Amino acid sequence: MALDYRKCAEEIFSHLGGRENIISAAHCATRLRLVIADNSKLDKEALENVEGVKGMFDSNGQLQLIIGTGTVNKVYDEFLAVTGMTAATKDDVKAAAASKMPVWKKILKTPGDVFVPILPAIVASGLMMGIVEAIPKFAPAFGKTDLFSFLDLVANTAFALLPVLVAISSARVFGGNIFLGAVIGLMMVHPALLNAWNVGTAETIPTWSIFFYPIQQVGYQGHVIPVILAVLLMSTLEKWLHKHVPEMIDLFVTPLVTVVVTAYLTFTVIGPVFSIVENWVLSGAKWLITVGYGAGAAIMGAIYPLTVVMGLHHMYNVIEAGMISSTGVNTWMPIATAANIAQFGACLAVALKCKSQKTKSVALPSSLSASLGITEPAIFGINFRYMKPFVAGMIGGAVGALFSTFIKGTDMSGNVVAFGATTYGVTGIPGIPAINNIPMYLLLMVISAGTAFAITWFIWKEDEPKKAPVAAAPKPEAIEAPATSVIRCAAGTILQPAKGEVIAREQIPDDTFAQGILGDGVGVRPVDGTVVAPFDGTVTSVFGTKHAITLEKDGMELLIHVGVNTVNMAGDGFEAYVKDGDEVKAGQKLLTFDSAKIKAAGYDDTVVVLLTNSDDLEGVECGAK
Amino acid sequence: MKSFEYTITDPVGIHARPAGILVKEVKGFAGSTVTIAKGEKSVNALKLMALMQMGIKQGDTVTVSVEGGDEEAVCTALENFFKANL
Repeated sequence: MALDYRKCAEEIFSHLGGRENIISAAHCATRLRLVIADNSKLDKEALENVEGVKGMFDSNGQLQLIIGTGTVNKVYDEFLAVTGMTAATKDDVKAAAASKMPVWKKILKTPGDVFVPILPAIVASGLMMGIVEAIPKFAPAFGKTDLFSFLDLVANTAFALLPVLVAISSARVFGGNIFLGAVIGLMMVHPALLNAWNVGTAETIPTWSIFFYPIQQVGYQGHVIPVILAVLLMSTLEKWLHKHVPEMIDLFVTPLVTVVVTAYLTFTVIGPVFSIVENWVLSGAKWLITVGYGAGAAIMGAIYPLTVVMGLHHMYNVIEAGMISSTGVNTWMPIATAANIAQFGACLAVALKCKSQKTKSVALPSSLSASLGITEPAIFGINFRYMKPFVAGMIGGAVGALFSTFIKGTDMSGNVVAFGATTYGVTGIPGIPAINNIPMYLLLMVISAGTAFAITWFIWKEDEPKKAPVAAAPKPEAIEAPATSVIRCAAGTILQPAKGEVIAREQIPDDTFAQGILGDGVGVRPVDGTVVAPFDGTVTSVFGTKHAITLEKDGMELLIHVGVNTVNMAGDGFEAYVKDGDEVKAGQKLLTFDSAKIKAAGYDDTVVVLLTNSDDLEGVECGAK
Repeated sequence: MKSFEYTITDPVGIHARPAGILVKEVKGFAGSTVTIAKGEKSVNALKLMALMQMGIKQGDTVTVSVEGGDEEAVCTALENFFKANL
């Protein structure tokens, strides 16, 4: 059945704590992304159970509802109509979310924000490089052809001039002028500077002496962190100058001052200092994934999906970029693949094992997407919701990552090098062309996915409590339809909603009820303080004071009213287990009440059961049967 | 159409029993259609369930409209009824 987008949007809205609690809304390919003012006002359980919502996650200050490709945009349109909001772009939502984020998270998030937009360039170059360099392994002569040289140049362009891409993207992230950002990036790889890759072989490193301060004339090829920080400085400076320079001269003073000051500080302080920091980060990462006979790699493989959950996994791009520029091999990528493909295995196990069509319809496409390296749908939609598959995926990732440390790869000249990829930003099946040992890479994927699949298959069961299909539905064994009926008519039968002696309507100790003004029915002298549904029907209204409830089924309108004058107790001693609009099953608990409290307050506790529209119904007959 | 406004004084508002007697009263005016409105919501005063679902409380102001029949007389009778009972 097709999803009713309007209804879905309305239901989502109804659980968000009011319009003023929603700061902004946007959507991506699969998710509705909302920024919420006060998370405590959300009814998270109800949200997860809205028809059409396949999963929910609260991350980086965003409430993300997973709805699905091709559907989310329609629900989003309806959501805007329902709430009267204007469309926010994903960037608006991210900005609103960012303002709610703690500083350390913002710092960790920045590399991701910078790298995600440039990934297409990296992926194109990286995959091409993988293919171009793989051919000479089988046909060494190809490596000497002009075609090879040409393809190699095309393939390594994005890597050789990476700082330019990083600088432009950073300028966008930090709100600076992207062309000034480009200038900073270009300057850092200027052909007049000694290429950073040639420093090791250069006999002397030329220096400038400016204000008695020596500056090495070395470029920043392959660097990332110094570039991001240089552009951060540039953007901050530019914005500050825009504010303080008189408008008349702003047009030329601001760009000039911005570039000159940034350039000087970049080559004197930021570049030298943060190149060292970057090397530490890189060494740290390499140490981590090689330490302890693979233990470090295993740990990384296990916690990788956690960083995906926090949305911080793009920061690894910095490490990967550094690895490629220093050694040409991204040894981080096999670990990321192990972690990602394990989530695929876990999700596939759920897809094959579950019986619920709803779960299956989410799990199957999500697992396919995970096999291609996009794990968010699988993690948020399935694995993280049920937790056990997620943990199974972490174990699978750890096993695969451990395995990867025993593998070696070969470079294009046939030399044995570390196992890894020529690019980053791709994992899983699309990573195959970029890897330097394809058979072992395939085996790695089988091991990771297989482990996660097997563990999930054995420890995950479908009927976990989180999977209760309908909001507020009680556990199935709790429902037992009452054996006796109290009212019968042509439209249907009303079962006895409370245990106890059934009395005639006329004996109810209250004139309004007894005279049948509110309709025909019976009274019950209750024995156990519980009111259950008298038929499979709909709750039309639960009174604010929780002492009365109205239900409807097939044109029968039923009022169950606990006690006489108990409205005056204002809900004290009463509890409601359903809400307006709930579908209930005969025997399902609706209300509970404390008879002792009712009597102590001086009221009668007779449960009044009336067909309020008995005049319009045919063949109404009252009394226990 | 005739109508009047009334602010509920009954401390429990238009709850089950008050609603019941109101419906009974309105049933007496067979020739007229009586509507009770609060804010944007309005219901036919013969519909007990709908009336109760309005959740009309003490202090709420409702608009009672009469259409058809002897509107003048029904309106007066209902106004007296509200004052006496609600």
